[in-house]
Amino acid sequence: MSTRMSSRMVHAHSNYYQSRKLRQRVGMAVLIAVLTALAMIILMPLWWMISTSLKSLNEIMSYPPTWIPESFHWENYRLTWSRGNFTRYTLNTLLLAGVGVITHVLSNTFIAYGFAKIKFPGRQMLFTVMLGTMMIPGFVTLIPTYIMFAKIHWVGTYLPLMVPGLFGSAYQIFLVRQFYMSIPNELIEAGKIDGASHYYIWWKIMIPLAKPAVVVIAIMTFQGAWNDFLGPLIYISKESMFNLQIGLQSFKGQETTQWHYLMAGSLIVLAPVIALFFFFQRYFIEGMNISSGTKG
Amino acid sequence: MKLKKPLSAILMTALSTVLLLSGCGGGSNGEDQQTETATASKGKVTIDFWTFWGSETRRPIIENIIDDFNKSQDRITVKHTYYPFGDIWTKELAAVAAGNPPDVIVNTIEATGQRADKNQNTNLSEFLKKEDIKGRFFPELWDTVLYKGEAYALPFTTDTRMMFYNKDHFKEAGLDPDKFPDTWAELEETAKKLDRKNGSVYTRIGYSPQYAGFDWGSIAMNFDKGTNFFDDTGKPVINDQAHLDAMNYVLDNANRIGQKNLDTFKASFGSKQANPFIAGQVSIWPDATTFYTQIRDFGQNLNFGIAPIPEISKDSGHYSVGGGFVLEIPKGAKHPQEAWEFMRYLTDKSAQKYWAEKNFDSVANQEAANDPELLKNEVYKAAVDNMAVTKVFPVPLNAPDFLNLINPQRDAAIMGKMSPKEALDKAQADVENLMKQNTK
Repeated sequence: MSTRMSSRMVHAHSNYYQSRKLRQRVGMAVLIAVLTALAMIILMPLWWMISTSLKSLNEIMSYPPTWIPESFHWENYRLTWSRGNFTRYTLNTLLLAGVGVITHVLSNTFIAYGFAKIKFPGRQMLFTVMLGTMMIPGFVTLIPTYIMFAKIHWVGTYLPLMVPGLFGSAYQIFLVRQFYMSIPNELIEAGKIDGASHYYIWWKIMIPLAKPAVVVIAIMTFQGAWNDFLGPLIYISKESMFNLQIGLQSFKGQETTQWHYLMAGSLIVLAPVIALFFFFQRYFIEGMNISSGTKG
Repeated sequence: MKLKKPLSAILMTALSTVLLLSGCGGGSNGEDQQTETATASKGKVTIDFWTFWGSETRRPIIENIIDDFNKSQDRITVKHTYYPFGDIWTKELAAVAAGNPPDVIVNTIEATGQRADKNQNTNLSEFLKKEDIKGRFFPELWDTVLYKGEAYALPFTTDTRMMFYNKDHFKEAGLDPDKFPDTWAELEETAKKLDRKNGSVYTRIGYSPQYAGFDWGSIAMNFDKGTNFFDDTGKPVINDQAHLDAMNYVLDNANRIGQKNLDTFKASFGSKQANPFIAGQVSIWPDATTFYTQIRDFGQNLNFGIAPIPEISKDSGHYSVGGGFVLEIPKGAKHPQEAWEFMRYLTDKSAQKYWAEKNFDSVANQEAANDPELLKNEVYKAAVDNMAVTKVFPVPLNAPDFLNLINPQRDAAIMGKMSPKEALDKAQADVENLMKQNTK
């Protein structure tokens, strides 16, 4: 009897254990199914882009629309590249983005050092003014800035797109300052005792310690320069100096749009940004944390 | 980070804004303008010409014309720069404000007077006094480039809307494929015969005023015999009887088919890529006549006809709407004389004919438009003939964005949220109010 009972208990226990496992599995399956469905919804436009970029214009214009191209026109990519003069535009964009990243990283980490670690009269006031500039919408300053650059004969050159980076960007300064605040002052004092100048401390102590913040502003700047349309549009007046975003627009006409080229071109332009995201995913998330203030 | 002094933050923001804005005030006297882009070398003048014709079809055509002009004389070299459609005018606005605009630009015809009013383009009357070329253009287009009686641009291209219809659908429904309905009432009767249903689901819709390029606003203009939303004196007449009748016409069609059915059907063909007329899902499709090039390129032997927009009663008029693009000299351009010579060349017969032939655009030069060779194409001929009943409406100066006030009320009426009368009365009151504010 006792053996029977214990075997029943074991049975019941394993039943319970199995059903719990089953429930967990079903729950997991449902979760994966829901997440897959959501991911598909989010990826649908991307798939539509890929599929359109491989179709002929005739197929794009025909009804009903097809999810998978009837025939794959890989040459669309080659033609997009050559017709859109993309080699030139890519080099131009890389130049603008590269200079942008260097200038932004140098100036913003430097300025933030001053705000975070050096005490001087009016610091709080200056910092407040700087944050205040973030509240001015870009469109308000667009024309005055343009007029200023026109007066000093910079319109038609890359200077208006490159030089402002040297003067800092309020948001990025704020971001790096918040990160610096979490670095103990003792480190700086130790440096000072050893005779290090502010420049030395900034370059040898602060930047290496603030690497996550530096990567975040580098990525932000790269993305901004890569996707910038309005800046190059109004300042550049030679087609050989256009960037990718303006180049893409040439497939959109007044009455017809060359959808296959536009989509192929958009994917070419999108690829580096996606790659960047996968490589630096960790920093993207960290960047969000810094800016939301959990670090500071 | 905590802002200890929120007040000082606001104050400083306001101050820096004021400083930036006041910096803008002195900017447009344009004395030390940038001359890099328009340097005179060896007595030869280079002028900048901005267009949005960058596609692989249009670009070679305009550049051929420019080449011909550059070779035709030895004083002026035209340099062409392409900017994306729409954004080109953002760039121009900034350039005019800074005093370094191009010498010639392509812009919309409807807002020519508005740009003149805002001092963005150049008065051409001085050039026209020496050489009167206004006879070249269709009169309706010429009237549109006038501001206070003086010209501020030269018309370049135009367009007009007509009815495209599927002749095979007509035959199949037992209708005469060579006779398109003359009046709006006949059109609705014809449309009924062209609908096809599978159970309760529409597989084809004969005609809906809510599809394609001639909606309530345009129909209202046709119903009121070409007046549109403002009368001769510039007074808004949005809620007049004709416009109400037009709204009821749109609603009768919607009630017959069902607004929900119309929306579902529309959603199935999307808005940009595949065209439902070309796909044979809609039998009658009002559109600009350049729509023909899409049928030609993607319509695999679609058997179609083209006809004027209907009229409300016999001989009331087949009024249609058009638009177009003009050439103008932005304010502050450095070489207006040379710019004028180039614009004169672009609107002359040979350049205009070449443009029409290669692009299938309707052109502004009457003689070029009526070239016998071009008229051999049936659609082209229909488009040129339609110019006689085509109206172009300049943007009203004291209510440039009046459509933003009318459209929500139009939609409210169509969605059944308001009676047509209420909706149009509201639109009328809103536009009157806007004009009152703008004339203070």
